[in-house]
Amino acid sequence: MHYLTRAKRIFPLLSIFLLLNVNIDLAMANELNCMMCHKHRGLSRINEKGEFRLFYINSELFESGPHRRNQCSDCHTDIDRIPHKPAKKVDCTQQCHMIEPSGKEKFSHKSIAKTLASSVHGKIDADGKEKEHAEDFPGCKDCHDQPLYRPISVFKGVAKHGVSERSISRCKSCHTGGNFAEDFYEHITSRLHKTRFSKEIIEVCAKCHQDPEFRKRHDLDDVVTSYKQTFHGKMVALGSERTPDCIDCHVVEGENNHLIEAKTVATSSTHPSNVGNTCRASDCHKNASEQLAGFQTHVTYDREKYPLQFYMLMGFKALMAIVLYFFLTLIFLELLRRLFPRFAFFKDNKPHHKSVKSREE
Amino acid sequence: MVKQLKRIVFKSYVIGLMIFTVWYGYFMFPLIFGFEGKEDAAASIEELSMSESKEDQMFDKLIAEQTHRKQTDLGYRLIDQPYMEGRFHHIGFNIQKDNASTCVQCHGNVPHDESREIRSFLNMHTFYLACETCHSMPDKDSKPWLFKWYDKDSGKIAHNPKDLIKIEDLNASKDAKRQYPVYGNYGAKIAPAENDSGEIKFLHGKKEMAFAQSYKTKQDLLTPEKKSQMKRVIHRKVSKKPVQCKQCHQEDQPYISFAELGYPPSRVKELTNVGAVGMIEKYKTFYMPALLKPGGAELDK
Repeated sequence: MHYLTRAKRIFPLLSIFLLLNVNIDLAMANELNCMMCHKHRGLSRINEKGEFRLFYINSELFESGPHRRNQCSDCHTDIDRIPHKPAKKVDCTQQCHMIEPSGKEKFSHKSIAKTLASSVHGKIDADGKEKEHAEDFPGCKDCHDQPLYRPISVFKGVAKHGVSERSISRCKSCHTGGNFAEDFYEHITSRLHKTRFSKEIIEVCAKCHQDPEFRKRHDLDDVVTSYKQTFHGKMVALGSERTPDCIDCHVVEGENNHLIEAKTVATSSTHPSNVGNTCRASDCHKNASEQLAGFQTHVTYDREKYPLQFYMLMGFKALMAIVLYFFLTLIFLELLRRLFPRFAFFKDNKPHHKSVKSREE
Repeated sequence: MVKQLKRIVFKSYVIGLMIFTVWYGYFMFPLIFGFEGKEDAAASIEELSMSESKEDQMFDKLIAEQTHRKQTDLGYRLIDQPYMEGRFHHIGFNIQKDNASTCVQCHGNVPHDESREIRSFLNMHTFYLACETCHSMPDKDSKPWLFKWYDKDSGKIAHNPKDLIKIEDLNASKDAKRQYPVYGNYGAKIAPAENDSGEIKFLHGKKEMAFAQSYKTKQDLLTPEKKSQMKRVIHRKVSKKPVQCKQCHQEDQPYISFAELGYPPSRVKELTNVGAVGMIEKYKTFYMPALLKPGGAELDK
């Protein structure tokens, strides 16, 4: 009787346990089945429009980012059978199966989408109307590919890229189960610095902002080219990670990176009244005056839009060219004379200079 | 003598400086008069303005994107991979080019597009199977063919790929730092061969390659009739009906012996048993289990 009572108590727990186990097995089966085909680099086709579609998933790189804790079906929710029909576009704002650790709700990128919508990149204007050329405004995938961890290690005050065994061993001494320590460590340390190298950020922005057709449609300056000509741009090109990229100046310090506002908006980091604060942001020019960026930071040389800047540039270019090529010509002629000291176009027998003797006379 | 030598050295020195002066002027010209990125932008406008239709634009874009790559710097590792606009997942690496295949010369390596349902699967196979493996069949009277790996660069017989053999061991590892197996990118492909008095010869050899290359280089000079004739000669070994999926993906005497080609036992089982066979068998009817999925039964209907 006693055992029966105990069994009655245990049975529901056992059932739940078994059910959970079935669920886990199905989930694993699901993952294995997806990769049965998608592990092949050649799984691809060219569609009717002539577009190349590649369906390969690189397991190693997929496992190197925060999405590794998700299953394929968390994002590709319309795939419910194998073989499946062409997948629908993924909605990044949908909830996935993970519970967001700081709350109790399922994780979603909805809040990011909301921030993006309120930024200069949102498709809807302040009056609630769709902006002109709304299709040009970015969605998640226009700026993001699959995120990858960029872990760092700090040991005895020396920071370096990657996971150091010395650093993570302290986590693993307590957190021994599965890959918990690695997951946690890589996630947190990737957030301690920029998750993308500055050069990549600039490439992302350049996809639209350097496209002449796009700029023409939105009446925008070629700010990427002008950035590349600045000291900051050149430092980034040389591999510096300490130099500001687009995000560093166009997002207010401490604000969500997706909240880029037009320079005409009072709260924008590039609004004339805020530019000083932006330059003084931590890790930058701490003692900068308001005037440090009180000039046209992204100077562009459009003759019709900025004639003064254009002709100034032309003037400087002309001056530089005249000075340089004048002296180069002079040096070349001097060398020519050294090569042919007696050469002359018109030879005459008369001496060009009076000899010492004749001068004495 | 020494004086003359000194003179020669001096003259050479002066000539060197003169060359340097001219080069320096040439080198400085774009730095003074050029804008960074202007050339690219101008070329882009020029190309797009020339493109009248969307198809033209796509063609130009395809040409322009040929060498487009993407670099992702993780600090401790640089991932250099092909760039594909709009792609979310990383590709990671390039597939090795097949320089030894006659067919790929013209058809490329994504040639299947007729059947919407299976074209991606068929294209998947082109990365490790030569076209003639499926598109040619031995005559009823002839000896059965052998299947061997050929090196994608040289076209010569290659050993069973090491990357293929070690797949099983890599999959068995649960280490967080484990190396992941790469499927299909072995630098070699499986092709049919014949045993010619002890010498193993691939069905498509140097002769076939010479035919195809000769056709490619001389096709502008050929009359339309000759073109058709040559095409027929090049494709003479193509069977009317290709090898069917189930002929290889079956446990009982598969058309190709995966084990002999170096496939590890677990992979052989996957290819000839539950995995691939189940997929083919139940292609139209096999759905994901919807036991615990709300609305799953409805979806299956």
